[in-house]
Amino acid sequence: MNHRVPDFQEVEDDFSIPTSSGLSNSRPRRPAIGEEEIMELLWQNGQVVAQTQKSSKKAAIGDGCETVITAEQREIRPGGEEEPTQQHLFMQEDEMASWLQYPLDVSSFDRDLYADFLYSAPPPSTPPITALAPPRSVVDIRPAAPPVQVPPRIQNFLHISRIPTRLRNESGIPMSGVAAGTTNARSLTVVESNETPVLGQVSHTVEDSKVNVPGRNVESGPLVEAGEVAVGPAEFTVTSSPSCSGASFSSGGDRRPPESVAEDRKRKGREAGYSELPKEDTEFQATDIKPQAHGSTLTKKSRAAEVHNLSERRRRDRINEKMKALQELIPRCNKSDKASMLDEAIEYLKSLQLQVQMMMSMGCGMVPMMYPGMQQYMPVMGMGMGLGMGMDMSMNRPMMPYPSMLPGSALPNPAAAHMSACFPMPAFHLPPVSVTDPSRIQASNQTDPTSNSAVSHNPNQPQMQNFNEPYQQFLGPRQAQPPLPQNQTVVQSISKQPSNRKDIGNT
Amino acid sequence: MSSRRSRSRQSGVTRISDDQMADLVYKLQQLLPEIRHRRSDKVSAAKILQETCNYIRNLHREVDNLSGRLAELLESTDGESAEAAVIRSLLV
Repeated sequence: MNHRVPDFQEVEDDFSIPTSSGLSNSRPRRPAIGEEEIMELLWQNGQVVAQTQKSSKKAAIGDGCETVITAEQREIRPGGEEEPTQQHLFMQEDEMASWLQYPLDVSSFDRDLYADFLYSAPPPSTPPITALAPPRSVVDIRPAAPPVQVPPRIQNFLHISRIPTRLRNESGIPMSGVAAGTTNARSLTVVESNETPVLGQVSHTVEDSKVNVPGRNVESGPLVEAGEVAVGPAEFTVTSSPSCSGASFSSGGDRRPPESVAEDRKRKGREAGYSELPKEDTEFQATDIKPQAHGSTLTKKSRAAEVHNLSERRRRDRINEKMKALQELIPRCNKSDKASMLDEAIEYLKSLQLQVQMMMSMGCGMVPMMYPGMQQYMPVMGMGMGLGMGMDMSMNRPMMPYPSMLPGSALPNPAAAHMSACFPMPAFHLPPVSVTDPSRIQASNQTDPTSNSAVSHNPNQPQMQNFNEPYQQFLGPRQAQPPLPQNQTVVQSISKQPSNRKDIGNT
Repeated sequence: MSSRRSRSRQSGVTRISDDQMADLVYKLQQLLPEIRHRRSDKVSAAKILQETCNYIRNLHREVDNLSGRLAELLESTDGESAEAAVIRSLLV
C-alpha cells in the first residue's frame, strides 16, 4: 500500500514539475561522478541537490521525494550553488541521451506538455486551447497538411505518455477487468483518430511499430460498448492524438498505460462539477451536425465547439470506465443505474472502512478493553506507521467503547494499553455514522495482565466504532455479540452514545 | 431515493439529474481521506471515482492482511476464550 497510494501523488507531483523545470524530472536519483568525493545528485522536491553518498543513503531509506536535509547537504548546497546547475545540465544531457532514441523535438516538448494538460480542459478555458491552436490549427485547417509536421507532434505525445508509463512501472498493480475496460476505451479513441486522414497516416508512419493501429479492426472487435461512438462522425481535431498515443501503449500490452493515460486525463481534467452525464444525447446530435460544417467551412466556432464536444466526450468516457471499474470492485452490485451504483459504492466503502477499523483494533491487541473516560478520541498516534495508508487520522466522532470488563477484574487493568501496540489504528476518517445498534464485542481481560503492563499505557483509548446494520450485508455473517456484563462504575463513567445500548441498565 | 431520479429513458440512459450525481460524488469525496479536504469544485468526478477504486482496493488489501493476522492470533489463543469468538466473528 505504501507504493500504491503515494504513487498517484508522486506522479502528479512529477507532472506538476515539468512545466517549471523541463525534462529532468523523471529520474529521481542520478549519481554524478566526477567529484573528488562521491557526490550523488538527488532530485528532491523539484531541485537537484548534491549529496554525499552516505547522506544519500539516508534519503534512500526514507521517503520518495521528500527533502532529507542533512548536514552535508546544507554545506554543499549553499557552497555549490553553481554545481547543482551544472549537474543539472549534466543531468539534462543524460536524459537527452536516453531520449535520443526518439526523434523528439525538445523545444516543443514543453509546449506539448501544456497542450496535453489543456486539452480536456473545461469549456471556460477554451482561450488557452485556442492559444495553443497555432501549432494545432495548422493541422486542423489543412487536413492534407504536410505529414512531416504532424509526426513530430504525435511523437511528442508518445513521449508524454511514455513518461508516466516509465514512472509507473514500479508499482504494477494488476488491473484485471479494469485493464480490459480501459484498453477498450483507449482503443476506442484510436479508432476515432483513425477516422481522420491526417492522423491516420501519421499513425501509420509513426506508430506502426508500437501500435497495431492498422489492426484497429482487430481491436474494435471487443469494443462492444464503444461501438456507437467509434462509428461516429469523423472526429477531426488533433485532440485525439494524445489518446492515440495513449492507446499505443495500451495496445502494446502494457498494463500501466491505461491507468497512466487516465492519470493524464485526470490531471488535465480540472473540470468543475459533474455536469456532463445528462448531456450524452445532445453530444451525439451535435457531432452529427459538425461534419457538414467541416465539409463546407471550417469556422473557428465549429472547431472550438467540436473541441469542446470531444473533450466532453472523452471526459465522459473516462468517468464511465471508472464507474465500470468501481462496479467490478463492489460485490453483489447488480445495478446498472449510475446513481444507485454510486449509492452502493458509498455504502460499501463505509462498511469496508468499518470492517477494517474493527479488524485493526481487534487484531492488534488481544483484548479490546474499556477504559474509564474513554470518550476521548484517538490521538494522532502512529499516524501512518503501521499502514502507511497516508490517510489522516482524525476520528472526530464519538465512538463506542469496548465492553471489556469481566466481573472480578480490576478497573484499571483493562486499560486498553494493548491497543497502543496496534496503534496504527486505521488512520482514515470515518464519516459520522448514526449509531443505531451497537454490537458489542466480547473481550476478556484475563489473558495477560502482563501484556497490559508490558505495553505502554496509552492515555487515549481507542474506541470502537459501532457497526451499522445497513452495512451488515457487506460484512458477511457477522453476529452481534452479546454484550458482556460490565462493571457498573465503568459503564457509568463513560459517556455513551445516545443509541440504545442493551446493557446499560443491567448492572 | 428513487423519487429523486427521473425515469425517462433516452437511448437507454436513465436521466439522472446533475444534482444527484454531484451529491453522490460529493459523498464519495467525503469518504475518501485524501481528497476530502480539497475544494469540491476542483476535483473532477473521474478523479474521485478513481480514488474510490483505489481506496477500495487498499481496503481489500487491508482486510486480507488483517484477516491473516487475526487468523494467526486465533491460533495462538485458546479456542475457548471469548476473544477467540470475537476474532472468529471478524473473520468473515
